Amino acid sequence: MNHLNMDALLSLREPGVEPGDAAAREHLDGCPQCQGELHRLHQRVARFKALPTLSPARDRWPETRARFKADRQRRRARMVGFTGLATAATVAAFLVVGDISRPDPIEAEQLTQMMEQSQVLEGAINDYNPEGRVLDGRTARIAGELEDRIARLDRELEMAELQQQQATDQDLLRLWRERVGLLDALVDVHVTRASNAGL
Amino acid sequence: MDSSLLTNAEAVVSRARSGDTEALGELFRAFEVPVYNLARRICRTTEDAEDVLQETFFEVCKSIGRYREEGSLWGWIRTIAASKALMRLRRNKYRDTDELYDEVVGSRREDTALRMDLEAALERLSETSRAVVWLHDVEGYTHEEIANMMGKTPSFSKSQLSRAHARLRGWLGEEMTP
Repeated sequence: MNHLNMDALLSLREPGVEPGDAAAREHLDGCPQCQGELHRLHQRVARFKALPTLSPARDRWPETRARFKADRQRRRARMVGFTGLATAATVAAFLVVGDISRPDPIEAEQLTQMMEQSQVLEGAINDYNPEGRVLDGRTARIAGELEDRIARLDRELEMAELQQQQATDQDLLRLWRERVGLLDALVDVHVTRASNAGL
Repeated sequence: MDSSLLTNAEAVVSRARSGDTEALGELFRAFEVPVYNLARRICRTTEDAEDVLQETFFEVCKSIGRYREEGSLWGWIRTIAASKALMRLRRNKYRDTDELYDEVVGSRREDTALRMDLEAALERLSETSRAVVWLHDVEGYTHEEIANMMGKTPSFSKSQLSRAHARLRGWLGEEMTP
C-alpha cells in the first residue's frame, strides 16, 4: 500500500481541491497510519503558533524617527525646489502671455520671495544639524511641535499643489507665509538654545 | 492579531497621515513586537531582525498616506515587514542549507524541552524554508502570496513547505512513512 507523502498531506490542509485530493482523501479514510501523520502535521503547526512571542532587546524608535525626519527634510527641500521652478515658470508665462486669467504678478512675486525665504531658513536649520545634537527636554518638545506643524503645513501645500485649479495664489501665499513663520520660530528655538548654552 | 492592537487606530492613522511624529510613534509602539517577532522568526540573527523592524517602520512612516484602510492595519504593516525580512535574506545571502547553527540555537533555547526541540528544529531549516513555513503556517499567507513576495512560483513555495515539514518530522523524532 502506498501511503500519502508530505505533498499530499499538505495539499489536504489547503483550501480548495487540487488534482489527486479526492483519491488522497479516500486513502486517508481507510488508513490509520496516514490519519496519524495528518494529525501530527496539524499538531506541529499548532505548536509553531504557540511558540513564545519574541521582543526586541532595544528601542529602535528614536533611530527610526530620526531617519524619517531626515528623509522628510530632504523631500521637503526637493519640493521647495520643484515648487520654486513651477512658480517661476508660471510668472514667466504670465509676463509673456499677459493673460488676465493668470496669477497676479505681485502675488506671484511674493510667493517666490516666501519660497526663497523658506529655503534660506531650512538651509540654516540643516547647517545647524539639530538631528546630530543633544537637545534638552524643553527645546526638543518645542522643536518637535514646530516640526509637526511644518509637516502638517507641507501636507496642505502638497494638496494645494496637486489641486492647482482650485488653490489660488492667495491660498498658497498664506500657506507659505505660515511656513516661513514656523521655520523662523524653529531657527529661533535652536539658535537661542545654542547661544544660551554657549555653543 | 489586527488593528485591535491600537485602540483608536483610525484617529492615530489620521494624525500620522498629517505627519504627526507622535502618532507615528504610537503606531510603532503598538506593532513593534509582532513585527519584530515575524522578522526574528524569518531572519537568522537578532541584529537582522532589529534592522528589519527599523526598515519596516521607516517605510510605514513614509507610506502611511497610501494606506487605504481596505484591509486591516496590521495586515498592511505585516506585509511590509515580511517583504523587508525576505529582502534582508536575499541581501545577506546566507548559506541556504540545512546546517545546524549551534551558537544561534543555543542563545534562543527556552525552558521546556518540547519548545527547545521545536525552536532548534526551526533554526535548522534553511533561511528560505523557514520563511515559507512561518509565513504559511503561522502568518496564514497563501502560496501565491508567498510566491509574490519572494519573486518565485507557488510551486516553489509548496515544495519548500513540503521539504521543510518532511525534515521537521524527522528532526522532531518522528520517522516519515516510507
